[in-house]
Amino acid sequence: MKFRAPHEEESRERAWAVVRAAYAQREPVAWPRKHARPLIAGAVVVAAVAAVLSPPGRSVVHSLRKTIGVKQARPALFSLPTRGQLLVSSRGGVWIVRRDGSKRRLGGYRDAAFSPHGLFVAATRANELAALDPKGNVRWTLARPAPRFPAWTGTRTDTRIAYVSSGKLRVVAGDGTGDHALGRAALVAPAWRPGRGRVLAYSDGRSAVVIDADTGTVLRRLAPAPKRLAWSSDGRLLLVFSPYKTRVYDGSKPVAADDPSDATFDRDATFVGPTHEVVAVRAAGSPAGAGSSVFSISTGRTLFRGTGDFDRITWSPNGRWLLVSWPTAGQWVFLEPGHPRRIEGVSRISSQFGGFPRVEGWCCAR
Amino acid sequence: MAGSRRDERARVRRAQAGSASEFEALFRAHWGPAYRAAYLVVRDAAAAEDIAQEAFLSAVRSLDRFDRRRPFGPWLHRIVVNRAIDWARARSLRPEAEEVDAPAPERPERDDELLRELGRLSPEHRAVIVLRYLLEYTPGEIAELLELPRGTVNSRLRRGLDALKERLQ
Repeated sequence: MKFRAPHEEESRERAWAVVRAAYAQREPVAWPRKHARPLIAGAVVVAAVAAVLSPPGRSVVHSLRKTIGVKQARPALFSLPTRGQLLVSSRGGVWIVRRDGSKRRLGGYRDAAFSPHGLFVAATRANELAALDPKGNVRWTLARPAPRFPAWTGTRTDTRIAYVSSGKLRVVAGDGTGDHALGRAALVAPAWRPGRGRVLAYSDGRSAVVIDADTGTVLRRLAPAPKRLAWSSDGRLLLVFSPYKTRVYDGSKPVAADDPSDATFDRDATFVGPTHEVVAVRAAGSPAGAGSSVFSISTGRTLFRGTGDFDRITWSPNGRWLLVSWPTAGQWVFLEPGHPRRIEGVSRISSQFGGFPRVEGWCCAR
Repeated sequence: MAGSRRDERARVRRAQAGSASEFEALFRAHWGPAYRAAYLVVRDAAAAEDIAQEAFLSAVRSLDRFDRRRPFGPWLHRIVVNRAIDWARARSLRPEAEEVDAPAPERPERDDELLRELGRLSPEHRAVIVLRYLLEYTPGEIAELLELPRGTVNSRLRRGLDALKERLQ
């Protein structure tokens, strides 16, 4: 098909003026050492083999992790850098971490979520959804097949928990009553819209679906099929994240987008605290290019980068600190991106939680 | 097209290192296909300019993270076509009639008719036809670009072409 679109030359010159200005303002960020990635990737393989073959090899792995991660990382999680408490899950169960670094294991659960004010925790295991207090005492349980991804919303007197079980989105009241199914759902954590009304976003496997949970009315269907859903804290914007295509919607209108290049993909994305800015974790798509970075979708600014894989990113409740999970280095990295930038690494995270933990939430600046 | 893959890789590398002239060469090589693809999906010159421009701005923001072993064009075209589909879907939800730009006047009549009928297809059908016949991707490559099963790409192509044929007869 031979074709020239109207106004092609004029549009090109207008666009070039804008794109050239953006290019001139960009800040190229170089990797610290030109050949560090292939060398470290090779060393990781050697060390992994050594670890399997001999017990002393494990110390090699540990040394290598120290090489990859943040230098001068603390050897244990002595404290959190700001107010609030973390909820994390690992092979060893679900844990609450308080600001002073004290940890309490709530039990052998798989997923967990804070209640709206952080006073309770909803948790799941094989065939059970449970509500717990912060000491791990069980308030109620509900037997359902393979429940996953609880999400809790509401006021101090009236709350709802959404979760996924047997391919269905289900909602139950905060006291464990009135459990009912709302529709077919994929294994993706649903997300309640903050604010008034009970509006819920979930994945049906083909798209993001926004529904009124009280009536079951579908309000919108939005592309792409998400791996993560998140609302801005004012409830206005919805982040629909997938590794190869991410969109931010204001109602049905896309207002921001991220499309990784063919050989890269995103691992996670989230709103920056109470703002409408979105940051994402970008990973190289091939084993040889093992690098990750955290960057702003809105500005392109790189906040943090390193060798190997980053996993989840979680903002502190006050929006000042970002927690980057870095399994390759065995570290959590707390990052305050302001000026001057502050970085606090914590190493040997796996040994403190019985496996590398997934951050389920950072709640409630109390 | 934008020259050989090796030349383009070198160009991307130099653009990443800060060469404005190499980035301009990339821009000029890829603007035409990107803008035309967007225009054929949205049928609105102003929107096509916004979409193609935004795709290049996205490229600037992601330039440091771009993997040079991969070609630049398909990545850009994926952004353009996906956003054009988003835009066209959003417009189809708005009931008001909107002016559609006339195609370039020097085009033969048959092309005008073809383009007009192309604009009457759904955005999804338009996108696969644009990718196949304007940008000359294979159905397998289109499937990868749009993250669709290959069978879906083939059926959209077939249905789109059938609809065009029927309307042009």
